[in-house]
Amino acid sequence: MLEQQLINGLTLGLIYALIAVGYTMVYGVIQLINFAHGEIYMLGAFFCVTLITAAGLPFYVAMLMAVICCALCGILLDIIAYRPLRRAPRLAALITAIGMSIFLQNLALIIWGSRSKPFPRASLPAYLSEQALVMGQVGLTWLQLFIFAVAIGMMVALFLVIHKTRTGTAMRALAQNRTAAALMGINVNAVISFTFALGSAMGAVAGILVAVYYNTLYPTMGYTAGVKAFAAAVLGGIGSVPGAMVGGVVLGVAEALGAGYVSSLYRDGVAYAVMIAVIVLRPSGILGRAAIDKA
Amino acid sequence: MGHLNKRLLLLPGLALLIYPLLPGASDYVLHVMTLALIYMVLAMGLNIVPGFCGLLDLGYVGFYGIGAYTAGLLTIHYGLSFWLIVPLAALNGALWGALLGAPTLRLTGDYFAIVTFGFSELVVLFLTNEIWLTRGPLGLPGIQPVTLDLSWLRPDWYFEFYDKAPNFYLAALLVALVFFVMGRMEDSRLGRAWYAIREDPLAAACCGVNILHYKVIAFSISAAIGAMGGCFYARWSMFLSPDMFKFWESFLVLCMVVLGGLGNIKGALVGATVLVCLGEVLREVLAAAGLPPETRFMAYGLIMVLIMRFRPAGLFPAIAASGRANPLLVVLGRRIAAGEFSGEKDDARGTSA
Repeated sequence: MLEQQLINGLTLGLIYALIAVGYTMVYGVIQLINFAHGEIYMLGAFFCVTLITAAGLPFYVAMLMAVICCALCGILLDIIAYRPLRRAPRLAALITAIGMSIFLQNLALIIWGSRSKPFPRASLPAYLSEQALVMGQVGLTWLQLFIFAVAIGMMVALFLVIHKTRTGTAMRALAQNRTAAALMGINVNAVISFTFALGSAMGAVAGILVAVYYNTLYPTMGYTAGVKAFAAAVLGGIGSVPGAMVGGVVLGVAEALGAGYVSSLYRDGVAYAVMIAVIVLRPSGILGRAAIDKA
Repeated sequence: MGHLNKRLLLLPGLALLIYPLLPGASDYVLHVMTLALIYMVLAMGLNIVPGFCGLLDLGYVGFYGIGAYTAGLLTIHYGLSFWLIVPLAALNGALWGALLGAPTLRLTGDYFAIVTFGFSELVVLFLTNEIWLTRGPLGLPGIQPVTLDLSWLRPDWYFEFYDKAPNFYLAALLVALVFFVMGRMEDSRLGRAWYAIREDPLAAACCGVNILHYKVIAFSISAAIGAMGGCFYARWSMFLSPDMFKFWESFLVLCMVVLGGLGNIKGALVGATVLVCLGEVLREVLAAAGLPPETRFMAYGLIMVLIMRFRPAGLFPAIAASGRANPLLVVLGRRIAAGEFSGEKDDARGTSA
C-alpha cells in the first residue's frame, strides 16, 4: 500500500503547494502572512459550485470564472484591508489579516450555510471519475492525473510569469527592496495587487480541485487547508516560490504516510508538528535564504 | 476632571459588585458577569505578549485549555482543593510557556504567531484524541465546584460554591489579583524591559536587556495567567470538552485586547466586558434572524479590521505606550505647531537650500 499512500500524498501535496505559493508570494512582496488566503481558497470552491448549480455553466467554464472572481477578490482584499496599513506596524497588518479571514469565513457561513455540500458530480466530465491506470493494488484515477496536470501546469506558468515577464521582474525587485523598486519607476501598488491576484487565482484552483477530489465543500475548509499550506510555505522557505512547491509536496506525502502508518487521528497534527519543528530547527526552510531576523 | 472621571467610573463597578446580593438578582446576568470576569483575566494575561512585548500570540487558548484540564483532572482523580490547584495549574501553564517560548521566541513576530497557533491546535488535537486521559470529545463531566474549608476556624465553616454568587466573587477576586500584579509588573524593571523590547529590540539589546530572557518570562507569565483562568473555568462550569478551546477563543481574547488598546490593562478589562456583552446580544439577535451562532464572529472580525484601520491603538490608547502619544512629545509637537521654534526652522531651511 506504500505506493498508493505516496500517490495520495502527492495529490494532496500538489494542492497544498498551489495554496502555499499564494502565501509565499505575498510574504515575499509585502512581508505579511495573508491569513485570509485560506478563505480565498474556500471562496474559489463555492464560486465554482454556485456557478455550476445556479448559472448552469459547464465545469471548465465555471472553474475559469471562479478563478477570475477570486483573483478580483484578492485584489479587493488588498485594496480594502491591507493597502491602508502599508506603513502601520506589522502587528496591525497581521491582526487585520486574521480579522479579514474570520470575516470572510463567517460571511460564507451566512451566504451558503454551515453544512457541507457535495460537489455537483453530474457537471463533471465523465472520464474524471474513471480509473486511468491500475497496477496491481495501486490505482490512479483520471481525476488525480487531472490534478497533477493542472497543478504542475500552473506552477510552470507561474515560474514563467515571475522570471520571464516585466511584471515578474517588478515583483522580484519589490521583494528585494521596495523603496529602490519604487525609485526605478515601478508602480508598487499595482504590482502588489497583481501578486495578490496571481496568488488568489492559484488558491482558487486549489479550492476547486479539493472540492472535486473529496466531493465536499464547507465554509470552514479554508481554515485547516490554509494553515497546512502555510506550514508548507514555511517548510520550503517562506518567500521562495520553488520552496513552496517542494514544501507542499513534502508535507502532503508526510501527512499521507503519517496518517497511514502512525495514527490517522493525528493527521492534522503532522502538519503542525512539521511546521513547529521547521521553525525551531531551520527557520529558513528547505530552499529559503537564511535572511531571518533573529532579534 | 481626571479624578472626578475615575470616581464616576468606580460607581458602576461597585454597583455591579453589590448586584449578586440583591434579592432579585437573575442567574443569567450573574452567569454573564462571571464569564466577563474570566475573559478579563484572560485578556489581561494575553495583553502581556502582544501589548507589552509586541509579539502576536495566536495560541493563548492552548494555555487556557492546559490550565482547565490540569484543574479538571487533578480534581477528579486526586480531589485536590481549588486553592492548591490554582498554583499547580499556573505552574503547568508557565512550564509549557517556557518550553514553547524558549526555542521560538528568538524568531520574528510572524513566525512566533504561527508557532503559537500550531501549538494551540496541537493542544486541541491532544485533548480530543488522548481518550484514556481526557475522555476525548465526550468531555470531562463531574468536576467538583470550588470548596472553601475553614473548619479549622469554626467547625461549620465548610463552603461549597454551587451558587452563582460565591463564584462571581471568587472570579472578581481573581481579576483584582491579576490586575494588581499586572499594574506592579508594568511599573517594574520587567515592564520597562518589555516596553523597550517592543519599541526597539536593537536599542533594548544595546542597553543590556537580554531580549530572549525577557520575552520568555513574558510568555510564561502570560501562559500562567491563562492557565489560572482555565483553572477557575473548570471548577466553575464543572464540565470541559476540547471544543471549548478552539482557535475562536484565542481570537476572541485577542479581539478584546485589541479593542481595549494593546498594552493597556484597563483597556483589556473594558474590551472583555464589551465583547462578552456583545456576544450575548448577538446570540439573541442571530437566533432571531435564524443564523447559526458562530456568525457572531463576523462582527468580531469586522471590529478587528476597523479598529486596526481607524484607531490602531484601540479605544483607550496606553499613554506611555507609544512614542507618539508620549505627553512630552505631544507638548513638544504642539509647541512646534504653534511656531515657538520658528527661528530654528528658518535656519534649517537655510542650510538645506
